[in-house]
Amino acid sequence: MTPFALFVIIVGLGLIGWLTARTRALAQAATSPVRPNSLPGQHGSYVALWTVLPALAFLALWSAISPSLITASALADPAAGVLPATGYERDMILNEARSLASGSAYGAFFTQSEALAPAFAAAMAKFRWIGAIVALLLAFAGGAFAYTRVSPSLRARTRVERGVMLILLVASLIAILTTLGIFLSLVFESVRFFRIVPVTDFLFGTHWSPQIISAKDPGASLGAVPLFWGTFFIGAVIAMIVAIPFGLMSAIYLTQYAQPGFRRWMKPALEMLAGVPTVVYGYFAALTVGPAIRQVAVALGMPYASSESALSAGLVMGVMIIPFVSSMADDSIAAVPTSMRDGSLAMGATTNETIRKVLLPAALPGVVAGILLAVSRAIGETMIVVMAASGAATITLNPFESATTVTKQIVDLLTGEAEFDSPKTLAAFALGLTLFAITFLLNVVALNVVKKYREAYE
Amino acid sequence: MNSSALVAGVPAQGAEPARRAPTDWRTDAMQRRIRRRYAAERRFRLMGLAAVVLSGAFLAFLLVTMMASGLRGFQRTEVTLSLDFQSMALPVTPAQLAGPGADLALAGAELQDKVSGAAENAFGPGGSAYIADTAWLAVRDAIKADPAILKTRAAIPVPASTGIDLAARGEGKPADEAVVARLAGLKLISTGFNWPFFTRADATDPGAVGIWGALKGSLMTMLVTLLLAFPVGVLSAVYLEEYAPKNRWTDLIEVSINNLAAVPSIIFGLLGLAVFLGTFGLPRSAPIVGGMTLALMIMPVIVIAGRNAIKAVPPSIRDAALGIGASRIQVVFHHVLPLALPGILTGTIIGMARALGETAPLLMIGMRAFIASPPEGFSDPATVLPVQIFLWSDEVGRGFVEKTSAAILVLLAVLLAMNALAIYLRNKFETRW
Repeated sequence: MTPFALFVIIVGLGLIGWLTARTRALAQAATSPVRPNSLPGQHGSYVALWTVLPALAFLALWSAISPSLITASALADPAAGVLPATGYERDMILNEARSLASGSAYGAFFTQSEALAPAFAAAMAKFRWIGAIVALLLAFAGGAFAYTRVSPSLRARTRVERGVMLILLVASLIAILTTLGIFLSLVFESVRFFRIVPVTDFLFGTHWSPQIISAKDPGASLGAVPLFWGTFFIGAVIAMIVAIPFGLMSAIYLTQYAQPGFRRWMKPALEMLAGVPTVVYGYFAALTVGPAIRQVAVALGMPYASSESALSAGLVMGVMIIPFVSSMADDSIAAVPTSMRDGSLAMGATTNETIRKVLLPAALPGVVAGILLAVSRAIGETMIVVMAASGAATITLNPFESATTVTKQIVDLLTGEAEFDSPKTLAAFALGLTLFAITFLLNVVALNVVKKYREAYE
Repeated sequence: MNSSALVAGVPAQGAEPARRAPTDWRTDAMQRRIRRRYAAERRFRLMGLAAVVLSGAFLAFLLVTMMASGLRGFQRTEVTLSLDFQSMALPVTPAQLAGPGADLALAGAELQDKVSGAAENAFGPGGSAYIADTAWLAVRDAIKADPAILKTRAAIPVPASTGIDLAARGEGKPADEAVVARLAGLKLISTGFNWPFFTRADATDPGAVGIWGALKGSLMTMLVTLLLAFPVGVLSAVYLEEYAPKNRWTDLIEVSINNLAAVPSIIFGLLGLAVFLGTFGLPRSAPIVGGMTLALMIMPVIVIAGRNAIKAVPPSIRDAALGIGASRIQVVFHHVLPLALPGILTGTIIGMARALGETAPLLMIGMRAFIASPPEGFSDPATVLPVQIFLWSDEVGRGFVEKTSAAILVLLAVLLAMNALAIYLRNKFETRW
């Protein structure tokens, strides 16, 4: 039975439970001497919840634990004797046998996996049936239990509402679970990485060439400093040199000077810059901006300039960030009390003196927080650097030279058929953890600055 | 700020401050100073205008560049090929052509070779290089549409090869340009709208590629994303805004949601790779995994938009419902949610637009394979539109540049439509209480 069919059956049972319980409650209400506590529909919902919730909760749990049970059961089969004892090949064979058995693969690369596939298919069928039967039993048992309790005195409404509250709580817990999932999966894989490569080599090494990793000293070619530098240089220096003046001046012009009609058209137009998918920016940077910058560099006397320069990626990324900076600046300038602005103008200051000496200093915490968030977005940005920056890890101050970033390296390391155990793949998770930690810190600091600042004027 | 700071500089004991003569604004020094200040004002204002205009100009430049090369991707050149089916004598029966095995029968009849042969006959030696490798598919479709032509001669327009296609637009090699001029003289070449671009999937020949495979993959992925993120997002927004007690747990939920909204998207790809593929063993490249990954990514967007919409519903409505005996669940589901729905929908559309344009997390879960047929189910290998753009951008052929830009135009059109819908909804249903 497919999971979808099972889901439909369980929901159908819930519907039947709802109808029968409602009918029963109606019948009881007609003959009951006392006024029933809840409406018939609430009795119906009570039974439906009892039918559906335990069964679905079990299915969710079962889909999480059954893959490992299936593997264990298939390994107990005599056909598993052909497997190599450990290592990467064993995992490959197991994966292939699994996909053969589930019908998602068309052919086998390993002969052993063909031998193992029937065992997998049998185990899958067995555990799928066990799951289906237990889920259906739970649905029937829950429904029957609730149905027998339907009576005029049952406080069905209170109980249903408690159930709904439970569902709401579970929905909001998903955010915590996702954060936890991100954190644990990154930490788990990174710990495996740091068992092979010392943390100090990774964090302070200055040589990055993951294509050739020597088995003796894997840390020697996995020093991430050039990546950190490239990320900082492209995302926090070049992109911000573009984004901060443009974003800030746009916000100032649109809030303080612009005619309402101009503002009504230009603000959404600038916001469109943020809505363009990053893959489009990346394509634009690689196809148009990169070669143009290379020509400029050649004209400036750098004959070996790369068209995958740090400048082209950073420039385009900066443009992408403009609306982000400008809307944050817009918000924080708007939050400065009008009385301060009016006071300054009344003293005879010109508008730009008011902006520079009164509004901006007052709005500074908000602007700084906006810039921090923009930096965090820039260093996490992937597609522009994947398409426009080069893979060569160099530490340079020359924007016409090529540089690479953490996100670009994560993509390079994880695309292509990489095994899950090599330092190369695991390095991507270590880079991911670093990126997560840095952006997390930036976000926390920025959010706290915003919070503090907002309180100051309200 | 204490009061002494406010009056700093003023003598504390009632001593008379030194009197200053009134400023004479008409002196030259003063006039110069005022002129300087006004000039600074104009400069500042111009700088602001320049910043806005330059940012807008960049957007315009981007759009124009994409249009300039993308609009050509929507065109294709066709060469009219005359075929003498009688002399070809294809070994197929009318019964075979009527049945479902028509494609197989025609492929078995070596139609491809015969079509190239016909091109050599029609255009002279080397003529088979004028038509695309996939030209025989057009002939096949023509035969399937009307098997009667097998007994006659027919002139069928077939797609031109990439070289001829480029030459027809004046960008090809001189040799190809000469061929085009010759064919044009015979009125055998025409340029039209590239409908197959919207019905085909990926291919190795830029003349034969289409976006339908990627578009269908995108639609399926978006469906999974919507079905997961919308209910979860709305329910958690309801919980946080209406019921959550103010304690350490709900603070933790809030902090998690705010931080998730700012986590780089590629990190969600790593999560999908490690958890959905690694731990749960779900299939690679499948819309269901892509949809789950993107759902986690846009759920915070929906929660934040939902909370703002719920917050905007005035308390008087809740109080009125509670006053006539509704329970708190009834208040929320019968009154607050319907009123907040337009705001929630606007946020959801914006979140979905973001998910639709997202590439990086999908690369992590393997959605970058070459997939030449549209996905049939949610666990089939698939690709999505942004990833298709990324894959084509790596292709070196001149023909792919146009196709990439054309696909970008389609993606931008869909995104613009979604954003316009969001703005329309916001304006239409915006309520001032």
